[in-house]
Amino acid sequence: MRAVKTFSLIFLLCAGLFPYPGGETPSLVKIPKVPALTASALARSGVEVRQELQNCLLALADREEISRLRRMGVRPTVLDRSAGPKEYLLVSLATPGAMDALRARGTAVAVEPRTAVFWTGTAGAAEAVPAGLPRKVLAAFPVRVDLRPAAAGFPVPPAAAPDPLVETIVSLVSSSRLSSDVQSLQDFQTRYSSTTNCEAAGEYIFAAFTALGLDAVRFEQFPFSAYTSRNVVAELTGETYPDDIVVICGHYDSISPSAYRQTLAPGADDNASGTAAVLEAARVLAAYPLDFTVRFIAFSAEEWGLFGSRAHAAAAGQAGERVVGVINLDMIAYANSMPEDLQVIVNAASGWLADRFLAAATDYGDLAATKTVDASFIYSDHSPFWDNGYPALLAIEDNPLNNPYYHQTTDTIDKLNMTFFTGSTRAAVGLLAELAQPIRSGYPATPTGLAAAVVAYSSLFNDLTAVRLTWDVSPGAAGYNVYRTSQSHLGYVKLNDLPVTASNFLDEDLGSGGTFYYVVRAVDGTGLEGNPSREAEAALGSSVGRRATLSASVPLRLWGIR
Amino acid sequence: MGDSVKRLGPAALALALLGSFVPAAAQELSLSFAAGGFRATDDAYREIYGSGTPWAAEVWLKSRGPFGLSAGFGRISQTGTALPLGEGGQEYPLKFVRTSIPVTVFYQFDFMTVGLRLGGGICFHSYREDWQTVDLAYDGRKAAPRFYAAATWTVAPRISVFGSAAYDSIPTGAGSLVAADVNLGGFQFMGGLSIRIF
Repeated sequence: MRAVKTFSLIFLLCAGLFPYPGGETPSLVKIPKVPALTASALARSGVEVRQELQNCLLALADREEISRLRRMGVRPTVLDRSAGPKEYLLVSLATPGAMDALRARGTAVAVEPRTAVFWTGTAGAAEAVPAGLPRKVLAAFPVRVDLRPAAAGFPVPPAAAPDPLVETIVSLVSSSRLSSDVQSLQDFQTRYSSTTNCEAAGEYIFAAFTALGLDAVRFEQFPFSAYTSRNVVAELTGETYPDDIVVICGHYDSISPSAYRQTLAPGADDNASGTAAVLEAARVLAAYPLDFTVRFIAFSAEEWGLFGSRAHAAAAGQAGERVVGVINLDMIAYANSMPEDLQVIVNAASGWLADRFLAAATDYGDLAATKTVDASFIYSDHSPFWDNGYPALLAIEDNPLNNPYYHQTTDTIDKLNMTFFTGSTRAAVGLLAELAQPIRSGYPATPTGLAAAVVAYSSLFNDLTAVRLTWDVSPGAAGYNVYRTSQSHLGYVKLNDLPVTASNFLDEDLGSGGTFYYVVRAVDGTGLEGNPSREAEAALGSSVGRRATLSASVPLRLWGIR
Repeated sequence: MGDSVKRLGPAALALALLGSFVPAAAQELSLSFAAGGFRATDDAYREIYGSGTPWAAEVWLKSRGPFGLSAGFGRISQTGTALPLGEGGQEYPLKFVRTSIPVTVFYQFDFMTVGLRLGGGICFHSYREDWQTVDLAYDGRKAAPRFYAAATWTVAPRISVFGSAAYDSIPTGAGSLVAADVNLGGFQFMGGLSIRIF
C-alpha cells in the first residue's frame, strides 16, 4: 500500500513537470519575418498562422512549436499565453490616441507601428473596440502565407494598348447612376449592421441585381457578434470559363459614432461609393457575354471587423473556388484636392493585380493611381481573400485617410467628388472587363483546356528543360498564337512567328528556369485574334534548365591534367 | 589559332619522341589503318549513342629489342537521341565526336609470321556533343590511360593484317541529369592493315 502511494506521488509529480502537450492551451505569438523563416521552416514548425502582416506573422503555437521555431533561429514573441477560444482583433493605430483608447477597454499589444492586437477577458471584443478605429477579427482558421520578400517591387509592365471593346463598356459608366445609387443608399439613414435599415439596404441591392437579370442572385447569411447579417451576391456566368471567377466587391454597411449609428450613419463615401460602383459595374457588363465569371458582392458587417467578407472568402477557399482576382472598392469618391489619385493596396502575391489596375486607371479612368504593397493594410474586405490565398486589391481614395467626414454622420453625398468617383469606377470596371474578357462576335473562340507540362531531356553533357503546352481545338481557329510571361497576368510576349496550326506547342527557350505563365489565343483565316485562354503555369526548378555551352579554357587543365 | 596549336600539341609531342627514337634504335617503321567497333562502359552513353564505329591511323616504331613506340590519330562519330526524363513526345537528335591521339609503348612477341603486342600509354581525347536542333553543345578534352593488345600476321613482305583490342577509361568529371560523371571510355575492337616502311 505504501509502495502504491509512493508510485502515485511520483507519477503526479512527473505529470506536473511534464504536462501532456496535446492538452496545452496554445499561445498567441508574433513571429518576425526574418530570413530564417522560410515557407518550409514554417511548415516544419507546426504553428497555425492566423494573420500575415508586412513584417510579422501572428500565430497560435504551443511550447514545443515555439521551441522548434527558436531552434530554427526564429524568435517568436508571446503576446497572450492563454489563447483559448478568445476573439482577437487587429486594430489600426493610425488614429492618434488609439492605443490608449484600446487599453482602456481591454488588452492591446502593438505588433507593428500601426497595428495592434486587441482582446478582452470576455467574448465580444469586436463591440469593445472604440468607434472609428478600423479593425479586423483574427481568422478562426490557418491562413495562407506568402513569405516572399516584402515590397520587393514589381517591374511595371509595358503599357498595353487599351482594348476598344473595354473602352466602349467603360464609356457606359454613368455619373448620374452612381450618384443616384449613393443617394438611395444614404436614404436608408443608417446601414449599420445589426439594424433593420442595413437589412433593407441589402434588399435594395438584391432587387437591383435581380432587375439586371444577373445569375445566382442570393443572400449569404453569416453570424457576427450576437447578430446575423447578409452579403448580397450575384454573378454573370462566364461562357468559356464558368468556374474561374473575377470578384468586384464593396461593403454596403456603414458606421458613425456610437451615439448615432443606430439611426444615422449615411456612409456616402464609406461605402455607398464602393457599393454603387459594384452596381454600376453589374449594369454595364450585364449585356455582354464574358469568358470568365464575374461575381458582384456587396458585403455586410465590414465595419464590425470584416465579418461578411471573412465568411465569403473562407467558404470560397473551402470550396476550392478559382478566384482569378478580387477588386475591392472601399471609399472611392472623396477627393480632398483635385487631381486626386487613387491608392491601390496589395500584398506581395497580388502585385500583378495592382499593376493591371494602374494601367486600367490610365487607359479607362483618366485617373492617376498609386500602388502600395503592404500586407499590414488589412482593414477592408480584400484582406480575408488574402488569408485564403487569393489575389486581391483595395482601391481607396487616400492612404492614410484624410476624409474629415470618415465614420461621421456628415459623410453625405454632397461631400463627394463625382469626377473622381466616376474615374475610380471606370478604372475598376475597365480592369474587371479586361479580366473577364467580353466575347466579341466574329472572332475565333477563346481556347480552352490549356495545360502546361514541364518536360526534360538529357544527353551526356546537357539537359534541356522545356514546357509542353496542349489545348483543345477552338472552333473557327486557323491557328494559335502562344504567349508567355514570367509574371502572372503581366507583359505577355508572343513566342511564335507564324500561327501554330497544331493544338500543342513546345517552349524550349526557358533560360535558367523559374516560373512561366502561358496563354493561347486563336487566330482565324483573316488574322483576327480572339481572347486569351486561361493562364497556365509551369514551374521549373532553379537547378534545371538549359545549360550553357561549356568549353574548357584554362590551359593547365586543358586535358584534364591537374 | 591558339586552340589549333593546343590541339596539335600532343601530336607534336609524339612526333618529337618518335623523332628522337628513330635514329637511335629504330629497326622497323610501319603505318597502320584500322576500323572496328566501340562499346562504351557508361550505361548512359550506350543508351544514348549505342555502339560506334571508330577508325584510326597509327605509326608503329619498333626497336631492335622487343619494345616499340606508337602514335596516331583516331576518331569516332556517333549519332543518338536525347533521353526524355518522364513524359517524352519530342525527339532531339544528337551528334557526338571524339578524336584521340594515343602515344603508347608496346612489347612485341614474334612467332614466325605472327606477332603479339601488349602495350599501354596515354591518349589525348578531344570531344564534342551537339544537339542538332537546338543551340546546345559541350566541348571537352581529357588525357587518359589506354591499354591495348594486338596480334599481327604478316601476309606479304611489307604487309600485315592485324586485330587489336583497346581499353580506355575517360572520366570527364562532367555530366547531366542522366549521368553525373560521364566516362567516355570503353572497349575498342579493330582490324586493319599495316604497311612496313622499312
